[in-house]
Amino acid sequence: MTAPIPRDIPLPLPAPEGLLEILLIAVFLVHILFVHLMIGGSMFSLVCQIRGLKTPDYEKLAYRIMQTVTVNKSLAVVMGVAPLLIINTLYAPQFYASSALIGDMWMAVIPLVTLAFLLAYAHKFWWNHFLNIPELHIGIAALETVLFLVIPLIFMTNVNLMLFPEYWPKVTGFFSAMLLPNVLLRYLHFVSATVLFSSLFFVWWSGRKTFRVEVQFSELRVIDVRRFFYAFAFGATIFQILTGLMVFVSLPAQGMSWEFTVLLMLGGLVVLPAIWWMWQNLTRPGHLLDDNFKQILTCFACAAIVMGIARHDYRENALEDHKAAIAEKTINYQAAVKEASEEAQLAAIKAKETDIALPGATAFNQNCAACHHATLPTVGPALEEINAIYANDPAGIVAWTKSPGKKRPDSMKMPGFPQLSDAELMMISQYMLSH
Amino acid sequence: MDFPIFHIDFIGNRMLIAVDAILHVIINHALAVGALPVIALLELSGIRTKDPRWDRLAYRLLKVIFIITTTVGALTGVGIWFSASLINPAAIGSLIRVFFWGWFVEWIVFVAEVSLIMAYFLSWQSSGRTPEAKLKHLRLGIFLAIFSWITMAIIVAILGFMMDPGNWMSERTLISGVLNPMYFPQLAFRTTLAMVMGGMTMICLTYLFTRNDLPFRTTVLRAISSWSGIWMLALIIASVWYYQVIPQHMLANIPVAVTTQEYVSWNSSLKWLLTIGLSFVGWVLWSSIRHPGQVHGAKYLASVLLLFAMLGQFERVREFIRKPFIIGNYMYANGIRVEDYPLLQRDGILQHATYAGIREVTADNKVAAGREVFEQTCTRCHTVNGINSIRGQLKTMYGDKPWQPEVIAAYIENMHGARYFMPPFPGNKAELDALSVYLASQQKRATAFNGAQTNGIPIPDKISASTVYGTLPNLANPHGEQQ
Ligand code: HEC
Ligand code: HEC
Repeated sequence: MTAPIPRDIPLPLPAPEGLLEILLIAVFLVHILFVHLMIGGSMFSLVCQIRGLKTPDYEKLAYRIMQTVTVNKSLAVVMGVAPLLIINTLYAPQFYASSALIGDMWMAVIPLVTLAFLLAYAHKFWWNHFLNIPELHIGIAALETVLFLVIPLIFMTNVNLMLFPEYWPKVTGFFSAMLLPNVLLRYLHFVSATVLFSSLFFVWWSGRKTFRVEVQFSELRVIDVRRFFYAFAFGATIFQILTGLMVFVSLPAQGMSWEFTVLLMLGGLVVLPAIWWMWQNLTRPGHLLDDNFKQILTCFACAAIVMGIARHDYRENALEDHKAAIAEKTINYQAAVKEASEEAQLAAIKAKETDIALPGATAFNQNCAACHHATLPTVGPALEEINAIYANDPAGIVAWTKSPGKKRPDSMKMPGFPQLSDAELMMISQYMLSH
Repeated sequence: MDFPIFHIDFIGNRMLIAVDAILHVIINHALAVGALPVIALLELSGIRTKDPRWDRLAYRLLKVIFIITTTVGALTGVGIWFSASLINPAAIGSLIRVFFWGWFVEWIVFVAEVSLIMAYFLSWQSSGRTPEAKLKHLRLGIFLAIFSWITMAIIVAILGFMMDPGNWMSERTLISGVLNPMYFPQLAFRTTLAMVMGGMTMICLTYLFTRNDLPFRTTVLRAISSWSGIWMLALIIASVWYYQVIPQHMLANIPVAVTTQEYVSWNSSLKWLLTIGLSFVGWVLWSSIRHPGQVHGAKYLASVLLLFAMLGQFERVREFIRKPFIIGNYMYANGIRVEDYPLLQRDGILQHATYAGIREVTADNKVAAGREVFEQTCTRCHTVNGINSIRGQLKTMYGDKPWQPEVIAAYIENMHGARYFMPPFPGNKAELDALSVYLASQQKRATAFNGAQTNGIPIPDKISASTVYGTLPNLANPHGEQQ
C-alpha cells in the first residue's frame, strides 16, 4: 500500500531539528510522568476507597491520594502543552493528518478531560458529603478513573496512526484506527507503566516523615500500606517487561532498526538490578523497603529516558522515507507555484494594456463587477437589464449610483459610492452602456 | 489542501473554534487576569484590618477561580489548539513556525502560572499561622496576578499579528510580528477591560457569598468597586485610544467599498455597545462606591453580562477584520496561501489537493467533483445544512426559484468582490462549473456531508503519491531519475 504524500508547510523550522527533537523527548517524559501519577493516583484512590468499605483506614488513605491527583493533573496538562507544540512543529503533515482522521474522538479529548477534572474536584472537595452514600462516593471515583483511562487510549491511537501513512487510506474513523495492530498492546504497556510509576511514587510518598501525621490511621500500619504499594510496583515491573516484549514483536517493521533494538535492550537491562533489589526487599527478612530506593529510582529513570529516546528513534525511522518524500514534493511544488505566478503576472500586464484601450473598464471591474454580471442576475441586475433601462442615459446611471434607491423587492439595497467622482462614474457608465 | 479535511456539518467548523475560544477568553479575562489582583487586594485588606472575614471571603472566591480556571479554563485553552489544528491545520501550522518561541515562552509562563495558583490556593489555610508566612503568601498572589497578565500579553501579540502582519510579510521574524502597530492599543484595551470584568465578576460573587453579613458586604463592595472604578477610567481612555488607532488603520487595508461600509457598521455597533456598556457599568460602579449596600445584585449581574457582550463583540470585530485572511495577506481563511492562487486557478485545485478523490471534472462527474471542490474551498466557513449553511445562503439569495448553476457560478466567480470577507475562488473554470452544479443539486435534497473523520481518505493515486510536478524537473534531486 502506498502512502499519500502531502506537502509540508513552506516556512522554515523555528530552530534546528535536533534541538527540537531533544526538547520533545525531554518535555514529553516530564508530561508523561505526571500523566502516570494522575491516572495511577485516581486508580489507587478508587481501590483504596473500595477497601475502605471494610477497613476504614483505607478510606483515609484514599482521600490523601486524591489530594495528590488534583495537583498532578494540573501539572500533566500544562506539561503536555510543550510536546504538543513541538509535535505540531516537527510533524505537521503527519500529525494533522492522523488527528483529522480520528477527528471526532480527538476533539472529544477536550470535553472528556474537562469532565474528568471536574469529577476529580467534586470527588475531593465534597468527599465528606458523599461519605455516607457509598454508591455515589465510589461511583464518582470509578467514572473519573474510567475517563482518565480512556483519554490516553485516544492519544495512543493518534500518535500510532501518525507513524504509518500507509495505513491512512484504510482508516475510517477512530475505532478502525484504534484496532490497527499494535495500538492496544502499546496501551496495555502504557497502563502497566502507570501502575508502576504511580505505585513507586506512593511508596516514596507514604515514606515521608509527615505522612503519619497527615493520614492519622487508627489501626492500619504505615508499613503495611507501603508494602501494598511496593507489591504493585514489583508486579507492574514484571508485567511491563512482558507487555514490552509483546509490543516489540508486534511493532510494524517500518520503524525497526538495530539502533532501536539495542536501545530497547539497554532500557530493559537497566531495570534488572532494580527488580533484583525490589525482590529482596519484599521477600528477605532484614531488608527494608527503603533499601537501595535511590538506586531503584535511578534505574527506572534511566530506563524511562532510554525508552523515550528509543520511542523517538522508532518514530524517526518509521517516517524517514515519508519525510524525505514530503521535503522533495514541497520544493517541487514551490517551483510550480513560482512558475504559475510569473505566468499570471505576464497575463496581468497584457490585460492592463487592453484595459487602457477601454476607459472605465478597470474602475467597473473594481467597483461594480462583483454584483453586476454581463448577462446573468447575480447580486444586482445584469448589465443587459441595466442597459435596457438606461439606454443612452449614462447620467441616469451616475445619478442612481450616487444615491441608489430600493427598487427590486427581492434583492438587497445597493451600497452608495461617495468615494467615486462624477468623472469616474461617467466613465463607468459609458463603459457599461457600451457593453 | 495538504491535510485530510475534518468537517462537522451541524455546528460548523468556525463555530466550534468560536465557542471554545470565547469561553476561554471570558474565563481568562474575568476569572484570571482581572480577578486575581482583586483576591490579592482582599487578602491584603485582611492582613491590614486583622478581620478574618476578608481572608475567608478571599479564599472562597479563589476556590471558585481555582476550580474553573484549572478545568474549563485550561482545557478550553488547549482546545483552541485542538480545534484549530483540526479545522485549519495549514494556518495553525504556519503560525507555529513563526511564533514557536513566543508560544514556548508563553508555555513557560503558563507553567509558572499554574504552579503559582496551586501553591497560592493549596497553601492558603496553612499560611495563616504566622504573620510572616501570610505576607509571603500574599506575595505569591501578586506574582500570580502578574504572570497571568503576561500570558495574556503574549497571546495578544500573536492575535495582533494574525490581523495585521505588519512588517512580517517582508521580514518574517518574530519581533517584527510582535511589534505590529496594533499591539499596544489592543493590549491596553484588553487589560483594562479584563480588570473591570474581573472586578465586576468578583463583586457578583461577593454579593452572593456575603448575603448573611450585610455590614461586611457594604465594606467589601465599596473596596472592590473603587478598585474597579479606577480601571473603568483607564478603560475609557483605552477605548478612545483604540478607536483612534485601529479603525483608520484597518480601513486603509480594506480595498472594497462594500466591506468598508460593513466594517463601519460593525465597528459602530461595537462603539454603541461600548458607549452604552461603559455608561451603565460606570453608573453601577459609581452608585456602588457611594452606596454599596443599596445596589441590587441584578444590576451587578447585568454589568457582568454587558461586559461579556462587549468582549464578545470586540472579538467578533477583530475576527471580521481579519477575513478573508486567516493570516493577514499571507493565507486565506480557506487555508490556501495567496501565493498558491495562480497555480490553482490555472491547473485546478483538485489537481493539487493531496487528499482529493477526483482530479478532473468531466461531463458525468460534475456533482461528485463539485462536492470535492466545495470541501476544499468552502467548508472551512460553510456547512451544507448546519450553521452558516450554504443551502441557507443560497435560499436567501434565490428563494424557491430554481437555482441555476450559471447564476451561481457568476456569483462565485466574483464573490470576493461582492463579499470581501470571502476569499476568491481558488479553482479553475471547470471546477467553478462543477461546484455550481453541485450547489444547485442541493436545492431539493441535501446529501449528507461528512468529513475525513467519517469518510476516511481515498486510496492515493499518482498525484497523491508522487513528488514531482508535470514537466518540471525534480529540483530536490537534480541528478536522480525523473519519475
Ligand atoms: C454589493 C453589490 C453591488 C455593487 C458593488 C454595485 N451594485 Fe449596482 N445594484 C446592486 C443591487 C442589489 C441592485 C438592485 C437594487 C434594487 O433594485 O433595489 C443594483 C442596481 C443597479 C442599477 C440599476 C438601477 C435601476 O434603476 O434599476 C445600476 C444602474 C447599478 N446598480 C449601477 C452600479 C454601478 C455603476 C456600480 C459600481 C460603481 C454598482 N452598481 C455596484 C448591487 C450592487
Ligand atoms: C472566510 C470564510 C468563507 C469562505 C472560505 C467562504 N465563505 Fe461564503 N460566506 C462567508 C460568510 C461569513 C458569509 C455571510 C454569512 C451571513 O452574512 O450570514 C458568506 C456568504 C455566502 C453566500 C451568500 C452571499 C450573499 O451575498 O448573501 C454564498 C452564496 C456563499 N457564501 C458561497 C460560498 C462559496 C460557494 C464558497 C466556496 C467557494 C464560500 N462561500 C467560501 C464566509 C465564507
